[in-house]
Amino acid sequence: MSGDASVLRASGSGEQAGRGVWAGLALWLLAAMLLSGVAFFLSSYYNDVYRKLLLWVALALSYNFLFGISGQIAFSHFAFYGIGAYSVVILLFQANLPLPLAIVLGVLLCVVLALVVAIPSTRLEGFYLGLATLAFAQLFLVVLNEGGSVTGGAGGLANYRLPPVFGMHLTGPWYTVVIVVVTLATFAILLRLDRSWFGRACRAIQDNEVAAAAMGVNVARTKIIVFTVTSALAGIAGMVYAFVDNTVNPPIFGLENAFLILFMVIVGGSGRHAGAIIGAVLLYLLPFVLSPLIGHHHALVFGVVMLGVILFQPKGLIGIYDSLRGRRRAAAGKAPG
Amino acid sequence: MQDFLELIVGASATGCIYGLVALSFLLMTRPTGVINFAVGEWAMVGAFAGFLFLSEWEWPYPLGVAAIVLVLLATGWATERIAVRPLVERGAPELAPILALLGMLVIFRESISLWFGPDPHPVPYPFEFARVEIGPLFGASLAGSNQSFVIIASTLVIFFLAWWFFERTLWGKCFEAVAINRRGAALMGINLSRVTSLSFAAGAVVAGLGGLLVAPNISAHYLMGIPLAIQGFTALVVGGPGRVEGALLGGLLLAFAEQLTVRYAPVPPGYAFGVPLILLIVFLLVRPTGLLKAREARV
Repeated sequence: MSGDASVLRASGSGEQAGRGVWAGLALWLLAAMLLSGVAFFLSSYYNDVYRKLLLWVALALSYNFLFGISGQIAFSHFAFYGIGAYSVVILLFQANLPLPLAIVLGVLLCVVLALVVAIPSTRLEGFYLGLATLAFAQLFLVVLNEGGSVTGGAGGLANYRLPPVFGMHLTGPWYTVVIVVVTLATFAILLRLDRSWFGRACRAIQDNEVAAAAMGVNVARTKIIVFTVTSALAGIAGMVYAFVDNTVNPPIFGLENAFLILFMVIVGGSGRHAGAIIGAVLLYLLPFVLSPLIGHHHALVFGVVMLGVILFQPKGLIGIYDSLRGRRRAAAGKAPG
Repeated sequence: MQDFLELIVGASATGCIYGLVALSFLLMTRPTGVINFAVGEWAMVGAFAGFLFLSEWEWPYPLGVAAIVLVLLATGWATERIAVRPLVERGAPELAPILALLGMLVIFRESISLWFGPDPHPVPYPFEFARVEIGPLFGASLAGSNQSFVIIASTLVIFFLAWWFFERTLWGKCFEAVAINRRGAALMGINLSRVTSLSFAAGAVVAGLGGLLVAPNISAHYLMGIPLAIQGFTALVVGGPGRVEGALLGGLLLAFAEQLTVRYAPVPPGYAFGVPLILLIVFLLVRPTGLLKAREARV
């Protein structure tokens, strides 16, 4: 993750000077090469672990924008990941569409569904949004299970392969490169949004909706856009995921993952990009470390860690890092990333 | 007709369980504003306590129930102490206790699965299984297992007690006062933290009894919590989050909608799982106050 950290600092200064843009771009490229390079040294098992880690990071980053930065507590994020995965598979192999069209239509589907959820949901406050989106996520699972031959029912869909892209078969580490690019692109988009007028509007809404509205922020529209953009990003991550295991089925998109993303963001430090990355890496890798010790009960540790963080370290692990560095900028609401 | 009357009994019993979970939500949400999603896990704790006291140790049923109520009181009280009070005292954001309780939810569920393992555990019926028929009514009779009638009767008793508490006791009035205006209630000398403690302890008892009542039919299982929590919350939203009667009404409506869909609607039975979810979404969006409106302060 050292690549990410340097990117953070570089693109931060990149906004100040014109030539910094190129320096920033070069650093993104360097990060992409470093993170991709890793894949070529990993066995196929660790490549698989690495790919999923990257996808969790992408999910945590976009969820952090939705929950941590804009303050919308939604449990539909992982469902959109699933919608992305299922839609690209169904469009490719049941509707027999070409890959680019399938991707575009899949993103479009995520956007439309996100709008359907987000527009009426602007009426809901606080945790009620969480419950409505929880119901949406459950409904998605019901549809997956009952979708017959379209969704493959409880068994899901399997036995498909990524069609050639520009005549190339992306397999092994090369497919990991695709995931690196998607994850970094997600990060770049979110950073760009966060550092714009829009990002500050989001943070203002989280702090105080009434005050934000009084300052001229269109609260409802901003909320809808955030929900739609982050859900679409989750959908894109899901599309990439569809070809990691080459199978999609309802248990993969179970509800506990919606909670897991929330835990990742809170444990890492909600509202902070670096926090989301730390949380995702930590909670994704924790079971690998813990399972030799306590078997399948790592979820208990998640619960304890989550509770402990909320009680004792509300700023998350990144908050510990901050106080060690003696710079508590997060409290001032200034986004250091 | 016979078929329909049996469905009525079954749906009423299910609806009562949803109503109990909804009541548990309401007991905490009304005075504190905290939506405690761990109520489903409390129901699970009630069910597993039932397994432990009644199946494993074979205590006599009334004594076992008394012990289970004590366990639940302690569970609810401890939950509030650990996950809610420190945050309220610190003045943390409103969402913080709700998220901390989600952490508790995971801790409850995983502890139970660690302790009892992933297999379902049997919980005995309070009475020997029997079929009860009331009737004849329109040439058929209201019939179902006696457990259905036990559930309905127990639920009515619990709801009556809750109603009596809110309408007839000073403590109940305190709860109402805190619900209507927290600050005002505190200024009137009502001890807010005691009301919060009590609401969590009572919530745990109500949810846990719901779990104990439904457990003989579905067995105690460590994953039983979340579906119950979702259905109970839906019942609360449908009935109206401000009134005790609303919880029962919402539970019954929800169960009838579910069972009638399974029985008569021309859709695959799996889609019946979607009924409460659609109801929840529709009610949240169209009528967030539910069917029964909360009582306003009377001037």
